[in-house]
Amino acid sequence: MKLTDEMRNILKVGSGNSAVTYLTTSSSDGVCNVHLQPYTDVYQDEFIFAPDLFAQKTKININENRFAVLTVAHPPEGQMWAFRGPCNIIQWGHPPKFSFHGVVAGEVLDKWGDWGTLEPYDSVDDDIKPKSVGQRGVFVLKVEEVYSCKASESGSKIL
Amino acid sequence: MAILSPRMKGWLERFGCHIGTANKSGFPTTIVVEQATTEGDSVVSFNLTDAQVNHIKDNIQTNPYVALAPHAIASIRAAYQFKGAATLDGNKLKVDVKEIYCTKPGPEAALRLDTLPPEHVIKFEESRWRDVGPPK
Repeated sequence: MKLTDEMRNILKVGSGNSAVTYLTTSSSDGVCNVHLQPYTDVYQDEFIFAPDLFAQKTKININENRFAVLTVAHPPEGQMWAFRGPCNIIQWGHPPKFSFHGVVAGEVLDKWGDWGTLEPYDSVDDDIKPKSVGQRGVFVLKVEEVYSCKASESGSKIL
Repeated sequence: MAILSPRMKGWLERFGCHIGTANKSGFPTTIVVEQATTEGDSVVSFNLTDAQVNHIKDNIQTNPYVALAPHAIASIRAAYQFKGAATLDGNKLKVDVKEIYCTKPGPEAALRLDTLPPEHVIKFEESRWRDVGPPK
C-alpha cells in the first residue's frame, strides 16, 4: 500500500512539518500502550520508520504482538489518519540480513540507526526533546490500512 | 485508584486524547477525541460520535482496559499516558484511570506517577514543565 503525497509530506524526515505522532501497541492479551513519537520517516512509500528512544513498553509489546497503529497528534488539523499494520523493531545487534517484510536490518541501521544524523533531536519542542539519546533501534510499521480518525467518520477506510 | 493532578485535568479537558483500545487478542484500534471532561480524582469522560462508538464498542465490551494520551499541542506540553478501565454507556465513554505515566522521551519515559503521593507529582510537574497552570 502506497501512502499519498500528503501523508508522506507529514511523516517524512526533513519535511519541515515535524509531526508529533503516537504509536499504539498492545500486549498479546490486549493491554494497550500509546507511545509518544516525535520523529518519523517514510521508506519505499509504504513503511513508517521511527527511532526507539527508551520506548520500553512498546518494545515489549512488539516482541509479543507485531501490530501497531500510528496516529498524528500535532499539528492536529487535517491529518486525522491512523496507519495500521504489522510492526517490528530492528535493533543494533540484529544480523544485517535480518528482514521484516522485505526491510533489511543492515540497510535500515546504516541509514536510520543514528537518527540524529538525519535530523537534529532538538528539532522538536523543548518539552519533548530528549535530554539524552540512546537509540536502540528503529521501529518499522508496514502500513496495510489507513483509516480516518475524524470524529464523524472514525474508522472509515482511506487507503 | 490514580489521582489526576490539576495540570493533567486541564490538558485532558482542553485537548482530549488518543484512545488506544485492543481486542482480546491484542489487535489495536486508536480513536481521537478532541475534548474530555474529568470527574472526581480519576475519571475521564468523552462524548463519542456514533462512528467512534461503532469503531471501538466491540473492543470495549470484550477488553475494557484502554490507554489515553493527550491530543494536539498537549502531546508536546503534557506528555502523560493514562491507563484504566473504560465503560461505554450510549455515546459516553468513561475511563477510570488506574495508571499514570510520564512519557517525555528520554530516561524518564514510562516513569510511573500514580504511585507517588499527589504532592510529589505536583513537585515533579513543577520541576519538569514551565507551565503548571491551565493550558492557554
